[in-house]
Amino acid sequence: MRYLVTLVALGGGVVSDATALWGVGTWVDRDGVRRPWEVSHTEIQRAMGHSSRVLGDLGVGPGARVLWCSMLSEAAQVWPFIVGSMLSGAQLSCADATAAEAPRVAMFCRLIDYRAVMGVTGAILDGLDEMGLAYADVFGAVAVLGARPDAYHRLTTAGLAPQHFALVGPAVAVAREPAGPALVDDAEWAVDLIDGHVAVTTKSERPTAFDRAVTCVRAASTSGNEIACA
Amino acid sequence: MTQLPPNESVYFDAEYETMPREQIAELQLELLLETIAYAYEHSPLIRETWQAAKVTPRDVATFDDFYEKVPFISKDAVRDFRDGRGDPYGGLLCVPTDELTAIMSTSGTTGDPTLVAEKWGGGSVGRPAIMYRDFWGMGVRPGDFFSLFLFTFRGPTYGFVQSLGGIPLLFDYDLMEIERLLRLSCEYRPTAMYNFGGTMILATADIAERAGIDPRDAFSSYKGMVWAGEPLGARARALADEWGMPLFEHSSVGDVTASFECSMHNGMHFWEDTVLVEGIDPEAVDHRDAQAITRDGERCELVATALTNRVAPLIRYRSDDIVRLARTPCACGRTHARIWTIGRKGDEVIVAGRSVLPIDVWSAVESLEPCRLGLFQVIRAQREVDVLRLRVGYQDTPSARLGALADEVAGAVLAKVGVTPEVQLVPNAELLRLGPPHKIPRVTKR
Repeated sequence: MRYLVTLVALGGGVVSDATALWGVGTWVDRDGVRRPWEVSHTEIQRAMGHSSRVLGDLGVGPGARVLWCSMLSEAAQVWPFIVGSMLSGAQLSCADATAAEAPRVAMFCRLIDYRAVMGVTGAILDGLDEMGLAYADVFGAVAVLGARPDAYHRLTTAGLAPQHFALVGPAVAVAREPAGPALVDDAEWAVDLIDGHVAVTTKSERPTAFDRAVTCVRAASTSGNEIACA
Repeated sequence: MTQLPPNESVYFDAEYETMPREQIAELQLELLLETIAYAYEHSPLIRETWQAAKVTPRDVATFDDFYEKVPFISKDAVRDFRDGRGDPYGGLLCVPTDELTAIMSTSGTTGDPTLVAEKWGGGSVGRPAIMYRDFWGMGVRPGDFFSLFLFTFRGPTYGFVQSLGGIPLLFDYDLMEIERLLRLSCEYRPTAMYNFGGTMILATADIAERAGIDPRDAFSSYKGMVWAGEPLGARARALADEWGMPLFEHSSVGDVTASFECSMHNGMHFWEDTVLVEGIDPEAVDHRDAQAITRDGERCELVATALTNRVAPLIRYRSDDIVRLARTPCACGRTHARIWTIGRKGDEVIVAGRSVLPIDVWSAVESLEPCRLGLFQVIRAQREVDVLRLRVGYQDTPSARLGALADEVAGAVLAKVGVTPEVQLVPNAELLRLGPPHKIPRVTKR
């Protein structure tokens, strides 16, 4: 019931056909090119179930707070996690994943006790550098720090214990523990490695099928739904 | 579930959008009295501010009581409460924190961003208004594609597109996304776009040429393209006209709600069943000496009160925005008031006794080809200065020519504004990094 209420509150209330398009998002290929990705309401609903379980694994539940650092073009991947955060009873904040948004990220972390900050990018860290803020001062109190590939090593170098978080094409890969592999939804995606880049393949029916689509994410290896990020 | 009107309906909510003004006033008073009692009981900032002014909700029964007795609050008051009391919500929050769904923030263009507490699916009373009525009025209908060109800090706003039965095409608010926007516009033929400002329009010219895409074709399916955040310069307007862009202006209304132009393009409507707007003398010290400015079209400072927000309602929020207001009926048939924005009080610089606002400098800066994106900042250490200092963005100019370009900018500003500025030239990229390009801080202390 809460799920339905949430969907109505967030829009989509007029959709009678779940196979209808939810929106047109993007995924980024090996060359860094943004490619359109048509996503149906059915896919989004399936992804919400998965994202709720992932958030539960990360301890994001009732009373917890989570800050999502992402871009609007990434909404097709991130939206299920945003709704999943709310379904779990957590409270949500959002910021763009850019250098210009570093003051907002710092402000949020100063004022709000987040259980998780997800999607931290190298650009946000660049912005914190410009502000003269130490990463440990900004994120030190955050239990779960989801770092994108270009931010991960900078955060570990600063003495923090981030967890891998990556948009692997249309899929989202999230590590459940620091230094652990990033996992995609095993029911939806298969991953393998092509020339050091993660490739994704669709396992369930989708309007846009992916067949070993090579993404911009580099990895050391893959196994099952696990990605050992480079 | 959002109930949609028949596709042929001009209005999303005909009853409310065309409500006679006497009925609007009755509805506003009812909501106002509910809101102030609620806010006084639950909001520490409101209660303390009112107690200091020795007024309670019981003292307010009419609009006149409200205007005469109720003190203003300001963004500084919210920040002071936040910093002084360690309350991240600035004393505005009216519900227990565990009832919140989301904690977002203001843009922060005018300083430190402040938190915006939200409770989705129950945080407000009243009927769907902002966005729904506006985009329906522009012609968005179920099944339409809708280009969203936005940042994320206000949360997942794309929900409103899907509530209208639309399908969002999702773009970052970034010049780098323009080519993709042009290509996908040709492919999906969207009906509406939110939000595409002057900097984006100006950048489109070069990008479209490089990509071999005709903007007239790419934008031919749009019925409404919304721009906001900053004034639209003459150069951007000319390009928009040339490309047949159906532009609609959009602006915030004192951090309480927002306003949109209708098809008449004669001011922006705000929905008065959600907000009570006043115009006051900008020089007023506080509510005791604030002269109401009620004549249509006269310059005033905007003061806004939320009527339907039950999470963190702002009551008599003094916005710092200089605007014009009109309450006469619009030719579109809607009866709700209209607003025209002029500038921010805090952005004004007095240069040797002469008032200068960023809008005054705009057309001078963008008139020079290397500065055509109109990116600049007024450097304002204090309100009154001896010399107008400008930081101006440029492109496509060799370093050997920068001295001459600075002189040309200074000359153009002198001709337009009447004062000779000190000009510091910086590459456009340096200014664009300061924020989404429609919201780079136009006034800075250093």
